[in-house]
Amino acid sequence: MTVPTPTAPHKDLKWIGRSIPRVEDARLLRGLGRYIDDIVLPDMLHAAVLRSPHPHARIVAVDASAARRAPGVVAVVTGPEAADLVGPLPDNGPAPDKHVWRVLAADKVRFVGEGVAVVVAETRYQAEDACELIQVTYDVLDPIVDPVEAVQNPPGLVHEAMGTNIVYERTFTFGPVAQDFAEADLIVRDRLRYRRQTAHPLDTTGAVAEFDVGTGEMTVHTNSISATSAAFGAAASLGIPSNRLNLVPCIAGGSFGSKQFCWRSTVTAAMMAKLTGRPVKYVEDRLDHQLNGDQHGSDRYYDVELAVMRDGTFRSLRLDVVEDYGAYCQFGLGSHGNAIAQVTGPYAITSTEYHVQAVLTNKTQQGAYRGFGADAGNWALERIVDKAALELGMDRVEIRRRNLIPADAFPYTIPAGNLYDSGNYQAVLDHALERFDYAGWCEKREAMRAEGRHVGIGVVTANERSVYGATEFWFWFDNADVAVKTTSTPEGVNLNVDAAGNLTVTLYSTPFWGNSSDTVASMLVAEEFDVDPADVAVVHHGTKGGLPAAGPGGSRLTVMLAGAIRGASGKIKDKLRKITANTLEVDEDDLEWVDGGYQVRGVPERRRTVAELALAAHLVKTSLPEGMESGLDENFVYDHPYLTMPKDDRSDLGVWYPCVGNACHLVAVEVDPETGSVEILDYAAVHDSGTLVNPRSYDGQIVGGTAQGVATALSEELSFDAHGMPLPLTFWDYLMPTALDVPEVNIGHEETPSPLTAHGIKGGGEAGRLMAPGALSAAIDDALRDFDVRVTELPATPERIVGWISREGQV
Amino acid sequence: MTQLDSRAPETELLDPELDTAPGTVHEVVVTVNGRSRRISCEARKSLADALRQDLRLTGTHIGCEQGVCGACTVQLDGRTVRSCLTLAVQADGREVATIEGVAPDTDTLHPIQEAFRAQQGMQCGFCTPGMVLRTQEFLAQNPRPTRDEVREGISSSLCRCTGYQFIVDAVMDAADRLSGEQDQ
Amino acid sequence: MKPPPFSYHRAGSGEHAVALLSALGPRAKVLAGGQSLLPMLNLRLADPPHLVDIGRAEDLRILRRAGDRLVIGAATTQSEVEYSSLTAAVPLLAEAVGYVAHPPIRHRGTVVGSMAHAAAVAELPCVALVLDARFTVLGADGVRTVAAGDFFLGPFRTAVGPGELVAEVALPIAAPGTGQAWSEFSLRRGNFPVAGAGVSLTLHHGRVAAVAIGLSGVADRPVRVPSAERILLGAVPDDELITRAAAAATEDLEPRPAADPAAHILPVPVAPVPGFDYRARVARSQVRRALTTALARAGGTR
Repeated sequence: MTVPTPTAPHKDLKWIGRSIPRVEDARLLRGLGRYIDDIVLPDMLHAAVLRSPHPHARIVAVDASAARRAPGVVAVVTGPEAADLVGPLPDNGPAPDKHVWRVLAADKVRFVGEGVAVVVAETRYQAEDACELIQVTYDVLDPIVDPVEAVQNPPGLVHEAMGTNIVYERTFTFGPVAQDFAEADLIVRDRLRYRRQTAHPLDTTGAVAEFDVGTGEMTVHTNSISATSAAFGAAASLGIPSNRLNLVPCIAGGSFGSKQFCWRSTVTAAMMAKLTGRPVKYVEDRLDHQLNGDQHGSDRYYDVELAVMRDGTFRSLRLDVVEDYGAYCQFGLGSHGNAIAQVTGPYAITSTEYHVQAVLTNKTQQGAYRGFGADAGNWALERIVDKAALELGMDRVEIRRRNLIPADAFPYTIPAGNLYDSGNYQAVLDHALERFDYAGWCEKREAMRAEGRHVGIGVVTANERSVYGATEFWFWFDNADVAVKTTSTPEGVNLNVDAAGNLTVTLYSTPFWGNSSDTVASMLVAEEFDVDPADVAVVHHGTKGGLPAAGPGGSRLTVMLAGAIRGASGKIKDKLRKITANTLEVDEDDLEWVDGGYQVRGVPERRRTVAELALAAHLVKTSLPEGMESGLDENFVYDHPYLTMPKDDRSDLGVWYPCVGNACHLVAVEVDPETGSVEILDYAAVHDSGTLVNPRSYDGQIVGGTAQGVATALSEELSFDAHGMPLPLTFWDYLMPTALDVPEVNIGHEETPSPLTAHGIKGGGEAGRLMAPGALSAAIDDALRDFDVRVTELPATPERIVGWISREGQV
Repeated sequence: MTQLDSRAPETELLDPELDTAPGTVHEVVVTVNGRSRRISCEARKSLADALRQDLRLTGTHIGCEQGVCGACTVQLDGRTVRSCLTLAVQADGREVATIEGVAPDTDTLHPIQEAFRAQQGMQCGFCTPGMVLRTQEFLAQNPRPTRDEVREGISSSLCRCTGYQFIVDAVMDAADRLSGEQDQ
Repeated sequence: MKPPPFSYHRAGSGEHAVALLSALGPRAKVLAGGQSLLPMLNLRLADPPHLVDIGRAEDLRILRRAGDRLVIGAATTQSEVEYSSLTAAVPLLAEAVGYVAHPPIRHRGTVVGSMAHAAAVAELPCVALVLDARFTVLGADGVRTVAAGDFFLGPFRTAVGPGELVAEVALPIAAPGTGQAWSEFSLRRGNFPVAGAGVSLTLHHGRVAAVAIGLSGVADRPVRVPSAERILLGAVPDDELITRAAAAATEDLEPRPAADPAAHILPVPVAPVPGFDYRARVARSQVRRALTTALARAGGTR
């Protein structure tokens, strides 16, 4: 592929760039959202799942006889029985046949909360009652909890068939790492710990399934945000041909990476619907979701080395990462692909080494949580940059400025092979410093310190990759071990203009989950046809008979919809122009699109509006050119904008995540050394995600992501005890922030359009969660410099902070 | 759990209307959004489930069933409560207000709802009904709040999407709209 | 997360409630506001076969001044106490009740219910202990009064026996010259505290004539801290003395085990709670803060 050339910002857009109210909100404000648990089908049953109390145990026997006789119970399926009814769930990890993942545990339970039986009853209350009557005999095994011990001195194996607890290990060397390290003036080293957290959308994952015995068709209402991809896996597990399975998307009350495929809930409900012949609802309750959901984030141990020159120039970066994946490997190495896509951040670094050791343990398997591993990667990089500044005695802003990729160097290829399409990192940094009043804050900090207060400032400059490519599913492995070298991540839309000229856009794998799919699609259509976005209808199509679509993930939605809608609009407009030319008897080339219609160039009275043309297209066949089909209905499948293949030896992974945004966050905090609490005094964030579609909505992503990032830094932790027991079981303990725990974010924008995408849009959905942890860590360091505290572990809870203070210095 | 004794103790103290064995169906009469509604349910049924399942008022959302998240917040006799931590039988004879009753009609939103829409004080919408009902109560008590007071006031509801900033904008905007109404 | 089945009994009065409890047997539970009990039922941490709802017992729905005491009935909500002008006469209660969870919880939760739930970390049991509250306990055999010092027996355990009902709590009106303060540190607003300190301090001619300091979160029940009280009693308090008293506040405490379930608001099997050393440190800081505030409120120099 040819390397793209930079483009100038778009100034001539009508709707794109306007903060119009979202088209979804009026119904949500009336309580008419119709989330998964709001769906009721006639004669519907309710499922509840009995879960393992042990992290690691062999299932000796399951006796469900009492449960089957309990009031209201219609059916019970135990884990061993389920293994006969449905096949394994899809696993994108290496050698999935060696770590088989099932809807219910069949032979062993491998984490607390793994399902061992499902009950369906007339009410959820009765189903839960019956769960308590199921007798499971367990042979309790030593749990594998610590990933380092799991490798060096394992008390057992999570999956015997693997023969090890390491599910994947490889070192990637990109560029002259050894030479760069040898030539460096200084090697800065750090050991870092990024603890497990979870997305916890307020709406859990669920499914309502209905099986039509007559047609053999299974319909499952799901809040999966990626139903089209999910359908293949679900069909395989259920043993239903994929053209007889229809996953119907319903809106999701938050995702943040979770609810990607929702295989477990889909298969649970569908299995039981087929078995009972009645519709079945399975919606996770909060415990189901926390213990056995698909939204647990990265859980990493980092050893980081940065090779630097005396003047502060970065030469090379080495990362050694141990990842505690939990019991299965549903998303493969995806979270490391996300990290490697921007492994060197916004900095010009000439070489990189990335060693990853992925370990399975007796914990809930990871899923995806906003950032999908790039959050941890950004944090680790920004930590080592701060340490380099400390060791070199340089200012933390200046060391960053010195190493930022220059604005004239784009498009820029990083050592790992990925391309950064565009950017102006210096402009973002300068804007942020000004918006935060960095100089003013430095003075304020000194004044407050003089009063004995522990005040600090933190800064990060970091990137946000968007629009993933399919090579990251397989570039981990040698070519010989890859069956299909996937390169497609399509997104299809259908655009329809009815006889009255009204527009309907149909999406195939993009439900609403808070991220304004309907508003985005409406605005993009409105931009093409000069209509009001409120007048565009949006349909969310089920998977059956649908167009190819990969759905959200990796901040791709807006970019992909923009490409697809522009493509479909072009086809419709092409047809409209032909009809206009035919009816006005002019040459097509003499027509121009002006304000919702085609007119003869320079002769505005000779025009046809969309409404007139739509009427003709549907009802006046004789006005159409010879051979033209009636109607106005076009599909367009937009695929990845820029993808290149990895090198055979994986010394270069090619381009797979090329739409790269950039941000600078600055924060001032005060730490109370007595309690260890951190108060945020001020916060500024400047982002550049290319052209903005709805700036207010995008700002919502920045603030929401920053709030999650603040909690990542300070409070949220999904801890397990030494025996593998998950500790936080309630929202009292898993400390998601309230309105009092997060800052007012002073938001600024730069807009460097992407040369690769429609309208120059880049993805920006992961936003603040990729930046805030590093900024908060740096600010805490700065506030506690008298105690020589450096944050090397997140979350920096009050108790940890007090521990660091007590250990590092005198109180 | 052990098997329950389904026999009710025999004593004259027990009111036949209200003293019941497990599993007994109670007749509960609640005024919901101004309309008297009858619900037949077990004693253990939460008000949240009764509203959602029996009355099909699914705007009251269930997020945690632990009383923490606030998605199930409704007003009981004019005060916000967690409907997941209130039994339907406890609401017997009382007045409940849910999100479905906030807008005056099908064409018009309440000024608080208008403010949330104008400010994009929401993303996924799951916490929104509870937020709106709490905002209504909060602004009745404090019609002209500061931003910090708003943060305190809405801290009883978790929102996972917005980071709250635009919700605070919305509540401030709502305060303006409601005060404007009063001034007229 | 649905509760197990139970039978439901609505008590018309305190006496009726006791009669029901007596008839239903020792596993029957009292339902007041339900803000601790219903989460336990939803999580199936408890499975009482019978619930006796006292929410409509009008004789338990009281808030009145009786002589030098403020009397709060078992059906009186935290909000009713919070919003009542009578409560200002017991400043420690007035301050602490605002820290209990959030308004939608306080609109249902009761003051007596929180005390009877007896979570070792919670605010109101500690307030009862500091103020030497008197509990009126109804039983089949009549009425008895239990002092707060004898009331709390351990995490979620009180001196209330099977078939008994805490009908009222009586808290002393603050005497002239008294300053009271509640101070706590929680990991999130509305959460139960890591540790909290309640102080009632009475000055007479500049000297501490009476002082009570209580801590939540550092033992298996709310505790008084005589080690700190002794330092203050009879002295002319100043910052230095307060610092000394705060430093001494956790001296007499037995360390609690890691993941101490007593440090949780519900009787969960394992709890993700801060370690004892940290809780003790926070407790000392809260004693200092509460003492400083209480002294100022008592009119002492500051």
